[in-house]
Amino acid sequence: MSTVLEAAKVPYIQVLDETGKVVNPDRMPKLSDDELRELMKRMVFIRILDQRAIKLSRQGRLGFYAPAGGQEAAMIGSEYALQRDDFILPGYRDVPQLLYHGWPLYQWILFSRGHQHGTEIPEGVNVLIPQIIIGAQYVQTAGVALAFKLRDEKRIAITYTGDGGTSQGDFYEGINFAGAFQVPAVFVVQNNQFAISVPVELQTAAETLAQKAVAAGIPGFQVDGNDILAMYSVTKEAADRARAGDGPTLIEALTFRFGPHTMSGDDPTRYRTKELENEWERRDPLVRFRKFLEDKGLWTPEEEERVMEEAREEINAALKKADAYPKMTVPSLIDSMFEVLPESLKAQRQEFAGQEEA
Amino acid sequence: MALYEFRLPELGEGLHEGRISKWLVKPGDTVKEDDAIAEVENDKSLVELPSPVDGTVKSLAVEEGTTAVVGDLLITFEVEGEGNVGAAQAPTASESTAPAAAPEQPAPAQAAQPAHVAAPAASQPAAAVPTSHAREVLATPGVRKFAREHNVDISLVTGTGPNGKVTREDVEKYLQGGATAPGPADTATGDATPAAAATPAAAAATLAADSEEERVPLSGIRKIIAQAMSKSFYTAPHVTVMDEANVTALVQLRQELKPLAAERGTKITYLPFVVKAMISALRKYPQLNSSLDEERQELVIKKSYHIGIATDTERGLVVPVVRNADRKSMWAIADEIADLATRARTNKLGPAEMKGSTISITNIGSAGGMFFTPIINYPEVAILGLGRITERPIMQDGQVVGAQMMALSLSFDHRVIDGALGQNFVNEVKRLLENPRLLMMEV
Repeated sequence: MSTVLEAAKVPYIQVLDETGKVVNPDRMPKLSDDELRELMKRMVFIRILDQRAIKLSRQGRLGFYAPAGGQEAAMIGSEYALQRDDFILPGYRDVPQLLYHGWPLYQWILFSRGHQHGTEIPEGVNVLIPQIIIGAQYVQTAGVALAFKLRDEKRIAITYTGDGGTSQGDFYEGINFAGAFQVPAVFVVQNNQFAISVPVELQTAAETLAQKAVAAGIPGFQVDGNDILAMYSVTKEAADRARAGDGPTLIEALTFRFGPHTMSGDDPTRYRTKELENEWERRDPLVRFRKFLEDKGLWTPEEEERVMEEAREEINAALKKADAYPKMTVPSLIDSMFEVLPESLKAQRQEFAGQEEA
Repeated sequence: MALYEFRLPELGEGLHEGRISKWLVKPGDTVKEDDAIAEVENDKSLVELPSPVDGTVKSLAVEEGTTAVVGDLLITFEVEGEGNVGAAQAPTASESTAPAAAPEQPAPAQAAQPAHVAAPAASQPAAAVPTSHAREVLATPGVRKFAREHNVDISLVTGTGPNGKVTREDVEKYLQGGATAPGPADTATGDATPAAAATPAAAAATLAADSEEERVPLSGIRKIIAQAMSKSFYTAPHVTVMDEANVTALVQLRQELKPLAAERGTKITYLPFVVKAMISALRKYPQLNSSLDEERQELVIKKSYHIGIATDTERGLVVPVVRNADRKSMWAIADEIADLATRARTNKLGPAEMKGSTISITNIGSAGGMFFTPIINYPEVAILGLGRITERPIMQDGQVVGAQMMALSLSFDHRVIDGALGQNFVNEVKRLLENPRLLMMEV
């Protein structure tokens, strides 16, 4: 048996530094200029969507929302490394990954409002709806990945949680099971430094969250989560290894959310200092990547303005579509769950039968 | 141009109010969608409220410093095209969230008010009320805790929040005297039966250390009794006539029968005599053996004589039925009543044995009372209450003599039975009880 210390290697990966300079050319992913621009477009879109969603929420036009602003690189970069067939099991903040994996924007709006149609994921879109229970999707991911392995499908399952999620039993069960069965799974921890108001240093005595992979016997990486190229690179590598039958990986993405935990009312100024927020603003994933692209002559302020305008229009169109969607009725909610209705639900459905036409 | 009204949205989970600490716009200002229009402060944070529309500020509905509740009108805009005043409201999250949210349709969640406890029960007083999860009370955990700590059954509190959600204020209001739920004592006094004794549920009582009252949740059977009593009392206008029968001869007869009864292994009470006397009186006055079909406005006169016998049990009042009592001997009736009563007290009666009575008898005499106002076992139209038999002096043929006197109280549904008829019926019962030999002609 080898000693524990020999096994405990948790590398820290960064491709771009905070000024947009390439610091690790070996890790530079092979992406075309168009693909690089696409990454930027997506991050800009999500930033606009995030700002809009916060306002919509305050206008009472959105239900539940957990702001994504600040975490775009970790979200977009990791999703971009996936194939269409790969399956995403998200946490509640991971809406951007789902949108780019095929969940229609208007359906997300309906989901946020509690409309059951929001959760009717279109055929061929390989995602679950956002999990609200902290870390629960880690166990499910191990199961989904095991299914892919048993069926000999070349697909992987990827899941996300936050720093707080790593304190859950489900987190350990999920990564341990995945390691034991060598299933094709990628476990991402977006360490945004706060579990609602609890700072990560109070969350665990572990120096990094990535090192928890060591106990599970799987590879672990700590990544600059605000560096989209690093996120893409590490996720791609993990996904490729999983697809090749080499088992799961744990990725810790160091990042920061700019907004509150959710729009349910926490006030970040009560638990974060201005200094800390300023420090992370300097590491803004969009600023860094914009610089990188501008240096390569791939991005201009005009282009960014155009993307922002398109984003606004697309969001407005989705809002209109969501607003115009027929109101949910109790019968339609009940009908959406089962192919054959259980007796108990039949009785409940009967109670609300009059609403059918509503 | 149209008007668009903006109401305070829920700015966080469980936040149902916000203080408008500062208006950032004034009437006449032009605003774009998402422009900040006000600063709103609540328990959790201070946030800017963005405008939901492009338009011109027409009026501000609340002053700076005012605390508004979710749903309060804050500001009215003049907008191009369609507004939301007079027309359908602009869709908001809460509206499309659940069907219950739309105020214009009868929302299922609104049924989460105390009324729902009584409403479904009213039409089927004898059956347990199925409780559906779809009608559970809406309230935040904090409010539930608050209610629990104050021993308030939150399902009895009328919610004034969105979709009938119960707020802390609602619970406070309830505590301050909005309480309408009948306590166990209330039900007992309204109860015209020997079952008025305390319910065994007392064992399950919860008692806060510093509380001056004790709240005892109603048991299932107690709830059914409460519903049945209310249904009867509030449906049928009750009149009770009271009279005394000189049952000296009957008491004597019973004494004579006792050894015979002991030989047969039968416990003989006065009830079989009353049952027979009542059936005889019913034959003469069949309207009392009936029910009222309200819908068709018809009196349904029963041709069979199924006599309900109100029976006190530890769990509460039950009314087992002696079926076709007119065709049974008094011995058989005595045995049957004893058997039903025993099984009622051990909770071994089948539901069918407590259904279908056409008229009932309730006996408070065994507990000692005399006259009372029994509540009809709805949908029957009459109930005969028996009081204690007391030996006391009466005047007879100008002489003071000792007599055994039985108190009779007949309650009837005045919608279908008038006072004279009710008294005539009592007179007939009385006549037979006073001259038990006449009962022979009825067997």
